[in-house]
Amino acid sequence: MIEVNNITKKFGRKKILKGLSFTAEKGQITCLIGINGAGKTTALNAIMNLTPINSGKILIDGRPLTKESYQTIAFIPDTIAMLPQMTIKQAMDFMKDFYLTWNQERATELLAFFHLTEKEKIADLSKGNIAKVNLMLGLALDVDYLLMDEPFSGIDIFSREQITNVFTSHLIEDRGVIITTHEINDIEHLIDKVVLIDDGIVVKEFNAEDMREQEEKSIVDVMREVYIK
Amino acid sequence: MKNYLKLVHFELNRFIKIYVTLIGVTIISQFTGIFLQSRNHAAFVNQTLQEESLSIKQFFINYSPFTMVNITNSGWFVIPIVFSAAALVFYSFFIWYRDWFGKNAFIYRLLMLPTNRINLFFSKLTSIFLMVLGLVAIQLILLPIESALFNNLLPDYLRYNLSTQTIISSSEYLTFLFPNSFIQFLIHYGVGLLILIVLFTIILFERSFHFKGILYGGLFGAGTLVLMLSPFIIQAKLNAYYLYPSENVAIELILGLAIASLCIWVSHYLLNKKITV
Repeated sequence: MIEVNNITKKFGRKKILKGLSFTAEKGQITCLIGINGAGKTTALNAIMNLTPINSGKILIDGRPLTKESYQTIAFIPDTIAMLPQMTIKQAMDFMKDFYLTWNQERATELLAFFHLTEKEKIADLSKGNIAKVNLMLGLALDVDYLLMDEPFSGIDIFSREQITNVFTSHLIEDRGVIITTHEINDIEHLIDKVVLIDDGIVVKEFNAEDMREQEEKSIVDVMREVYIK
Repeated sequence: MKNYLKLVHFELNRFIKIYVTLIGVTIISQFTGIFLQSRNHAAFVNQTLQEESLSIKQFFINYSPFTMVNITNSGWFVIPIVFSAAALVFYSFFIWYRDWFGKNAFIYRLLMLPTNRINLFFSKLTSIFLMVLGLVAIQLILLPIESALFNNLLPDYLRYNLSTQTIISSSEYLTFLFPNSFIQFLIHYGVGLLILIVLFTIILFERSFHFKGILYGGLFGAGTLVLMLSPFIIQAKLNAYYLYPSENVAIELILGLAIASLCIWVSHYLLNKKITV
């Protein structure tokens, strides 16, 4: 389980996270939702120690993040974070070189799934294909947890569909996923837990299925209640 | 260790095209310099002999001898070396900043590698140092070849033959690049490495604290400089120069090692606790 416990983060004088707390379980998809600037990306960066927090605690399976943790938790940022001059194969080789958890078979399977070829250069890819390669580089790691920051941001409907299909496939099974997205409609039916963030704190946390069944409300309905007062 | 070596390999590969270009420019410029200057000198000698009706012997009495040093001190030689040095100084900043400001923010990937983050520091440091040593080594290999070419282009009576060692000791910048003792080598390249280590630490201060980091980094850099110069400052203040040069070198060596260790410790801390994407 990933435990984010009362974390704060200031950039200059501006407090972005003001005591954010939530948990994400293995085998579940947890969705962080919030308007721009709510602190979603900062929260993911903080979990990965890409942005140091000012106070609070983050635990992964009961322990703080170490260099070894990067073998078991993968972050897919909203940018591909690979050199543009690299080919897909070179990017895969880079991952293979450093990660013991790199699964070449799965990477090849994902490439075929996304209709991509190894020879293609990252700089020449469309935005949608870059998002797919980015996803492939994260999903091909045999990790327990997967963090995704806006995987659908700015990509066409067909690429979005393909990426959504990944969430229903065996590629996600048994992993704990934390995802931030604005495109909630595409994956609403796949989400287990929703964490609504506003101004650096959690304003509502609920189980999506319970909300649907017990209160007959969709995630968007709850979002309306929370954000449009 | 394995990850560090992989990172060094990766960093060297990222710079290889520019590096090969630098080597190419140096070779082309220096060889062109030898051809043109030798030809110009031959033409000058012939013209002078005719115009002043001198014998070869008289010419050598009236004019200083033409040697390889005339060429090594010319722009054809000095400019590509200065250009390569400037490129490497620029690259010392670029090697960090491109990972943040490059098209795909590669720093995300680097910071998430399952390895000690200090390996990023060491790999970038090693890469730049290897590139410097590589360029110096290539220049050292080139010198005797260029000298042989020079001797082939001009007949004996138009030039004065010098050994590679004499050519090096006759140019200030070549003496700096190729010190004539191991201690001198350690001092020149040790100081260079130390400057690079301090610079990298200052960059990490800036990357960790942004505007405040420039101030912290500046103060840190100034502090290390004062510390390095402190033995000389103290001796000058007391007007007491009791120490032998070898003792001064030993003190500087200890201070240098202390500063390098401090920088590595600070960089390790910044990379793990303060750095931000």
